[in-house]
Amino acid sequence: MIHIEPMPAATRLGGEMADIDVSGLVKRYGDVVAVDGLTFAVQKGEVFGMLGPNGAGKTTTLEIIEGLRTPDAGSVQVLGTDVIAHPSTVKERIGVQLQATALPPFTKVREAVQLFAALYQRSRPVDEVIEEFNLGEKADAFTDKLSGGQMQRLSIALALINDPDLVFLDEPTTGLDPQARLNIWGVIESIKGRGKTVVLTTHYMEEAERLCDRVAVIERGKIVALDTPRRLISQYAPGTTVEFANVPGLDVETLRKMPGVERVVVDGRVSITTRTPETVLHTLLDPNASWAPAEGADGGTAGEGEGAVRDLMVRHGTLEDVFLSLTGRSLRE
Amino acid sequence: MNGFGSFRALAINEVRASVRNRTALIFTLGLAVLFMIIFGLLFGGSGVSVSFDAVNNDNTAMSTSYLKALKGVSGVTVDSKSHTAAFADLKSDSVIAVLVIPKGFGAAIEGQGPSQKVAIYQAGGGSSSTAIADDVVAQVTAAFAGGGHASVTLGAPQSAEVNQVTEMDYMLPSMIAYIILFSGVNYVAIGLVEKRVTQVLRRFRATPVRSSTILAAQVVGGGLTVLLQILVLVALGVWAFGAKNYGSWLLLIPPIVLGTASFVGIGFLITSVSRTSEAARALAAMITFPLMFLSGLFFPISSLPTVVQDIARVLPLAWASDALHQVMNDGAGFSAITTDCLVMAAWAVVTISVAAWRFRWD
Repeated sequence: MIHIEPMPAATRLGGEMADIDVSGLVKRYGDVVAVDGLTFAVQKGEVFGMLGPNGAGKTTTLEIIEGLRTPDAGSVQVLGTDVIAHPSTVKERIGVQLQATALPPFTKVREAVQLFAALYQRSRPVDEVIEEFNLGEKADAFTDKLSGGQMQRLSIALALINDPDLVFLDEPTTGLDPQARLNIWGVIESIKGRGKTVVLTTHYMEEAERLCDRVAVIERGKIVALDTPRRLISQYAPGTTVEFANVPGLDVETLRKMPGVERVVVDGRVSITTRTPETVLHTLLDPNASWAPAEGADGGTAGEGEGAVRDLMVRHGTLEDVFLSLTGRSLRE
Repeated sequence: MNGFGSFRALAINEVRASVRNRTALIFTLGLAVLFMIIFGLLFGGSGVSVSFDAVNNDNTAMSTSYLKALKGVSGVTVDSKSHTAAFADLKSDSVIAVLVIPKGFGAAIEGQGPSQKVAIYQAGGGSSSTAIADDVVAQVTAAFAGGGHASVTLGAPQSAEVNQVTEMDYMLPSMIAYIILFSGVNYVAIGLVEKRVTQVLRRFRATPVRSSTILAAQVVGGGLTVLLQILVLVALGVWAFGAKNYGSWLLLIPPIVLGTASFVGIGFLITSVSRTSEAARALAAMITFPLMFLSGLFFPISSLPTVVQDIARVLPLAWASDALHQVMNDGAGFSAITTDCLVMAAWAVVTISVAAWRFRWD
């Protein structure tokens, strides 16, 4: 496992203050260590992604930074204020979207926006926010009648009702259809465009790659890598990935010894990392290859030219490969 | 922080959401109205007719005049019988109750002897007409005892002032108590647990609002919902069903508010011990249904076995029901319901404090 040195926060360098400065954060639930010594800083105006499978500790970390949970150890400074000591000062200036729907029952869209506006000292005009998030048509509809995408827009609108400097979005696009997801990405980009700092968790690679300035890869409560998506890919997933469907009786050892092969990961699909994809493909597609069981042993239904390789895909590295290479497993269980 | 503004917004949202929750309304206000309609159809809203046997062990002018006053109440038949004959009638259900006037009754009223008690015996089972009979006797007796010397001559005219409590008059305070019980417990218990499970409470906590404000708004919002339903029920009871209040309307406020507070407190306590809304629902049902039958809503507590009576008298619904019936049916003053109110206030303070102390946010 890669050890990450505590990041020197901007505050310690005497420069501009970081919006979030987390140091040595630990949270335990009984014997389970949900957050295991996290240290990182989020700079003003950046979109910071937290990437990891369910149960990695992303949500717990977010909730500690938001002042919803108390850590067992460590310190958290948000917008220059100690969250553990002054949670309501911080809550006044941040916007929060929780993973769950989290809206009161039997409430209409406009009423929900009005309600949340009343909970802050300073808030934006209700109708302006409704228009901005394209909810005008649905303003008098009950919130449980909204589509997934509309619901998520409302949820983000509520997170921005107090015009916060820092916004937390916990899995903003989980469960949305592709079109609604694109729409939410646009919303998040416009939040960033207004100079706000955004912290988001996700387990969608494309989302992290497109939206995030920096990504922390989290597993079992620890940060295993933290950098820009581009640098994470060039460091942990360089080269090309040749990917195909797993077959019974696969001989992984032979695959590993094939010329040009750098890494083989079997995780539902077989992923081969290489810098010379042509060589690897040539060997893979050789009908006399010894890495897979002989085709046609049960009667030879396979046609000419059909080897053991099915559903072949050749692509460049992604954050998914970064995660695979760092943890040995896929993000999407 | 704009604490009151936040509280008001949260409480208003709570009341509005509760009023929109039709399923819940059916079980509270809806059933209460249905009970009134059923009883209204069964008894036609007119005065009930009840018959007693009276065993007059005193046989003075005073006791005769007392019986005469009772007989003067319309719908009430009183026959003087021997002890044996009277109890045979009671056993065969031909009378609803037996009244035993003790020796020394007359002397006691004239202030010349030790105080005496008129005993009333009822067959087991009981019904709301027994309760009405109790009321009639209680009022006539009170008039005699309280009137002092003058009561001797007042016999006949005084009986005219006796409240002729109808089934509907009896049902209205019962159904107010029913709403206090079901709404108070269910709105807060189930509503709060559901908001916890769906993370609504967590979302509120992500705002600068204080945790105590969030809880207070939930509890007060639940209480206001109960009061709104009672207003609708009373309006319907009086205008649509012709129920009468023989007491002061203002005097209904303390038992209603304190009763609501104590049941909202019980509901709040349920949320502190239930993890899921299913568990909260089950626990709420286990508390509300037995209480409904044990607390004098449909028949008087005195018709229950002594042990059950003792249990019922510890729980706050019996006190709420007693206070409401005393005010509305007997025209009782505040002194008559002080104990009821104190017991309910104690229940409210204890349940709300314990629940707030034990409350879990997730």
